[in-house]
Amino acid sequence: MEKYSLRKADLNRWIDSMIDRCQVFVPSRIEEEIFFSPVDEAPEMDLLGGTAVLPYLPPKDIVFPQSEILFSYSGKGEETKVEVPEGPKRGLVILGIRSCDTQGIFWLDQFFQENFNDFYYSRRRNKVTLVTIACNQPAKNCFCICCQGGPFLGSESQNFDIQLISFQDGYLVECNSTQGKELIDMRPDIFFPPEAGMEEIRFHLEEESQKKFLPAPTSYMSTAIRRITSNGIPPELWTELGERCFDDGGCSFVCPCCSCFGVGYLANDGKGYHYRYWDSCGYAGFTREVSGHNPREEKGERFKRRFFHKLSYQYLKKDGRIGCVGCGRCITACPGEVTMPLVVERIRKAQEAKYFK
Amino acid sequence: MIKNISTICSFCNTGCGMFVRLNGEEAVGILPNTRHPVNEGRLCKRGWNRYQNLRSENRLSHPLVRKGSKLEEVGWDEALQISKEKISYILSRYGPQAIGVVGSPWLTNEDNYRVSLFCRQVLKSNNLDGSYRFSGAAALTALNETWSGALGSLASIQSLRESPAILVLGRESLRDFSPVGARMIQAYQQGSKLILADPVCLRAEHFYNTFLPFPEEQLAQILKEKKDVAEQIPRLLAQPGSAIVFIADQIKTASSLLSLLSFMSQDQADPHPIPMMIPLSRSPNFRGAWDMGIRPNNGGLTLLEMLDLSNVIKGLLVFGDDLLTHLPSFSLMEKLKKLDFLLVADRFLTDTVQIAHGAFPIPLLAESTGTLTNCEGRVQKLRPVLNTGGESRPLSYLLSSLTRKLGSSLPAHSDKEMRKEISLVIPQYQNIHSESELDSPQGIVLSTLKHPVIPSIPFETREGPQAPGKYHLFIPNTLYAWSRNQMILESPLLRIEYPEDRMALRMNRQDVRELRIRPGEKIKVCSDHGEAQLAVEIDESLPSRTLVLPMHFSTVIENLAGKRKFDHIANYSYCPDLEVTLKKV
Repeated sequence: MEKYSLRKADLNRWIDSMIDRCQVFVPSRIEEEIFFSPVDEAPEMDLLGGTAVLPYLPPKDIVFPQSEILFSYSGKGEETKVEVPEGPKRGLVILGIRSCDTQGIFWLDQFFQENFNDFYYSRRRNKVTLVTIACNQPAKNCFCICCQGGPFLGSESQNFDIQLISFQDGYLVECNSTQGKELIDMRPDIFFPPEAGMEEIRFHLEEESQKKFLPAPTSYMSTAIRRITSNGIPPELWTELGERCFDDGGCSFVCPCCSCFGVGYLANDGKGYHYRYWDSCGYAGFTREVSGHNPREEKGERFKRRFFHKLSYQYLKKDGRIGCVGCGRCITACPGEVTMPLVVERIRKAQEAKYFK
Repeated sequence: MIKNISTICSFCNTGCGMFVRLNGEEAVGILPNTRHPVNEGRLCKRGWNRYQNLRSENRLSHPLVRKGSKLEEVGWDEALQISKEKISYILSRYGPQAIGVVGSPWLTNEDNYRVSLFCRQVLKSNNLDGSYRFSGAAALTALNETWSGALGSLASIQSLRESPAILVLGRESLRDFSPVGARMIQAYQQGSKLILADPVCLRAEHFYNTFLPFPEEQLAQILKEKKDVAEQIPRLLAQPGSAIVFIADQIKTASSLLSLLSFMSQDQADPHPIPMMIPLSRSPNFRGAWDMGIRPNNGGLTLLEMLDLSNVIKGLLVFGDDLLTHLPSFSLMEKLKKLDFLLVADRFLTDTVQIAHGAFPIPLLAESTGTLTNCEGRVQKLRPVLNTGGESRPLSYLLSSLTRKLGSSLPAHSDKEMRKEISLVIPQYQNIHSESELDSPQGIVLSTLKHPVIPSIPFETREGPQAPGKYHLFIPNTLYAWSRNQMILESPLLRIEYPEDRMALRMNRQDVRELRIRPGEKIKVCSDHGEAQLAVEIDESLPSRTLVLPMHFSTVIENLAGKRKFDHIANYSYCPDLEVTLKKV
């Protein structure tokens, strides 16, 4: 791990240099909504400070788009032509991604690259450099501290390439990969060795930031993990929570960790294409079989399945973390207000009430 | 590079704000707008997956003209010329009242207004109507009567969360329209009383405070009989800010809504506030089409009459609607085939297009400019997200070309000029000419000009208790059902989510066991009028002795029900629920 300091005034000069070589995604406002958008000029600095800025659409869309064409074809018989669309030609930098979303991409890596190497995911992911900004100030719905999602990532974490820690008029820069180092080496004139006492400032900033999270209802995440793993939750609770699920799929789509997809095709007159799209375990069609039978017909069953995948120990053991990073986007997305914090709280309260054995 | 374009969803009439995400010319994703007052960052599954149907391969791409038994692709000029000749022939031979025109809740306000001008001023016909005549018009008529013909803003979805009490007619009103449902859940969390009236529901979800297992047409009468609930519910709903939420497409009679309102207003201090009314619809511009005058006037015929009086109506011009998909029935197809001339303007190669004499491709709502009016009475502007596909041309082009060819003239209006005219002619739309307000996410809320006056009408008589051995067969109105919506059929994901209704009789598991039959097995259903054999399907959510057969299986229902009942207020006939017996085959 290498450490540097960078003046905030120099950030734009660094980004300008990056733009020459890569496509740089930075949080930007489009009609008041914030998106990770490729920029070709200086970005909005207020979105790159210590206060958490979480674009509603997580940056997973950059490595795993909401829909993407797998291949297209035209012609018939021996003259059939199959074409696979090209992947990104230049490197991609996601700058201003927060700790939770970085952890989300780590979780996606487990799914798409661990056992089976997904061609479409990897050709994007392998070109991505993550420049994370640690959060000194959480946003309204944040609960990353309960999910090993943030607000700071450990200096030795392999999940980011570069971590920026914002203080007064500068950043402390932590670099953990050769890809990150390449970005820094582009501008030796603006990166300096960290000043004395910076380690101490970092320690205090992280401590101060952590204090701002407590108390949160999700502080009982470990209780939820234990009870879900041991199947210790009464079915009535899942039925009740399921009644409030609108099976809209929004929670899956804005979740930085959700990786489920379906495959569809469009064909007409001898030409067409196959594409994959985000799917959701909340949908009845997700598990419905061709016969019409659905093993998870009831919404409560689907709801239980979703939270089992998010919180059960078997996934914690397999993938190294739980399937929630605490970004709080599901709180914005869920029309039934059955969000991660509420579910965790209800599981804890169910235990305290009549269900405890 | 991805472009994000802010616009309005056009699946249903809640009008959620969303960004459509484009990669070049192709829609690749959707993100709800967190700053939009209707949905505040939430969407339903249709909204989240709307990008999928924007890349359809089944678009109607060229004008079509029937030559012999086949539809042939032709150029716009030829199709317009042929259509003009057919229309002129009918006009000169039979007169203007031999032509019927159908507008659509899938067209913008501006386009519906153009259709209305074309019908009344160019064709000089009074026969103008929309497909909502088959059921949704009942609710619109009731609301129109209550607000004396000037239906302004009826409610605010956002303020539903502060409602002290909400009456929900049919649980789908909450489950299927997520921005409305979301506010009701928030209201529940804040201690509001939610009341569910639904006859085909075994038990209500936990957030309902009171459950009334009755259909809306009997609700007023039943409440009157049941003193204990009856006193409580009007009191709850008389509180300021309370609301009645219902799917207007499914309300069978105007009197059911009116009797409910008049029951609520009984014994209340005068003047008492009328609850907010939220008439939901599975079409995007249900209210707007009605407001723009898509309904018969001066003794004109309703759509049902146009179809029934085949000796009177010789030509039917259908703009932006697919009658056969909403009302699949052999008899309707026969009626349409009898016409001398059927012109259809639509976006897809629909069933109605397949039997038309002439068809014109028009842009999707995602390719149009113009405004939609949502269930609250909020007028919102669409932004064209995609370039117009194929040979599609705006409806304004079709109508003005036909007008010119017919030797008549209508001033050619842009959408903006059209809005100005609408604001002068339709009183509650007086504010919609402000373009800067229309461009904001809030849109423009219609003016409320008149105080509601609830007409006093007699309650529907309630049938006596169920005779032993009899089952109650509910025939829910399925006009605009999602499983037959063209936009759903064009989306791989949503097609799986909304599987086609199987022609089956849905019934309670216990009842199936008692009859000693297996699911999928056929059973004979006998009514006073006739009988039918239907496969049985188990529906866990149904109460005992309750059967459900959706309205769109019309041939079977016509066999069982015999004569339809007539709703004199909304001027249409409908199929009432039936008492039936079941016999093993």
